[in-house]
Amino acid sequence: MVVDELDALRDANQGCEMLAFADLSTQMILVTDTAANAPRETLDRLCNEAVMMLGAGRKVVLGEEPSTTALVANSKGVRVFLRAADEPNDVLCCVCAPELDVEAFVADARERLNRISSGA
Amino acid sequence: MSDLAELAQKISALAAKDTVFETGARVISTGGEPSPIVAILNEIDDTILERDLEIQADGAIVNLIVSGRRLRGIAAASSGADDVVGHVLSREEPDMVAAAFVLLSELCGRAQRLTVRYLAPQPFGKGGERGISAKGLAALWKIDLDEVPKPPMERFLSTNRSAAIAMIHMTDGEMQSSAGDVTALQSILDTQLADFRGLQTLGGGAQLICLEGALSDGSAAALAIHEDDVALIAYQPDHLGALHASWRAILG
Repeated sequence: MVVDELDALRDANQGCEMLAFADLSTQMILVTDTAANAPRETLDRLCNEAVMMLGAGRKVVLGEEPSTTALVANSKGVRVFLRAADEPNDVLCCVCAPELDVEAFVADARERLNRISSGA
Repeated sequence: MSDLAELAQKISALAAKDTVFETGARVISTGGEPSPIVAILNEIDDTILERDLEIQADGAIVNLIVSGRRLRGIAAASSGADDVVGHVLSREEPDMVAAAFVLLSELCGRAQRLTVRYLAPQPFGKGGERGISAKGLAALWKIDLDEVPKPPMERFLSTNRSAAIAMIHMTDGEMQSSAGDVTALQSILDTQLADFRGLQTLGGGAQLICLEGALSDGSAAALAIHEDDVALIAYQPDHLGALHASWRAILG
């Protein structure tokens, strides 16, 4: 189940605080991890940010091509957005602490997202 | 400067409020500021009583035996250079002094974060072998202890030079520097950046935005913002982790 993958991803990565699986075509958050306790507005903002960073359809806000992975970091934290390999509208939105091990997290998240997206 | 004034200055520096400790170790260099070798020499220069200075540099560890503001020698190192470890340094053995510099540079020279822990001294060499003073080592190793620190964005770009395919650095809208083929980056800068920053709701402060696959040649693009500085970087995607780690150490 999607939520099990999200919970496992959060539990396996120190600094991972909230995860949401979204559909870029409808620009909606579909599922969050079970510990997520964010109001709808926060989730909507997260989804909007995913659209801006990854691009929806062929629309690109920054760059020449739609991105496959985006990272936004400031002093308060890191947000990571990943697009599934085979279904470009399936994205994972991740809210994390500043000290996140980005390399390990992105590798783990990418693998789990592709599993979720393929229904494996 | 008199010894007394210098001592007072060092005590003041040690008591500074911005000193940061991590799991009991004091942070002496972050994001290359000061440069790791300068940070190590400063610690040697601050050490009067004989101590084992355990320096941690990212994953590496090196133990220095220091006394009377002099480096007596390297007691242990997490890797390499058995010919240096355990030997007292002496000006009469310049090859050994040079090898110690190579070892410290290899283990610590590119570290994003250096910490020091003062441990009780361990038996090392003979009592009369005093080693070499920090200032003496600086002269032998051609290190400027009074180096003027580079601005943070310059340090960030310098740290990531090897990962960058191309980059543009602007301050207050004025071009500071560029490297590589910046055609794609310049186009982003000219046609997208203002709108992008207008859309952002992330608030002020330093930011790093990395977009994998954002450039038509498959490379990634990063936008780093710090105060009036803006940098656009084209880089290979496998450097994402390193780029973020250095941004956090220097600008975050």
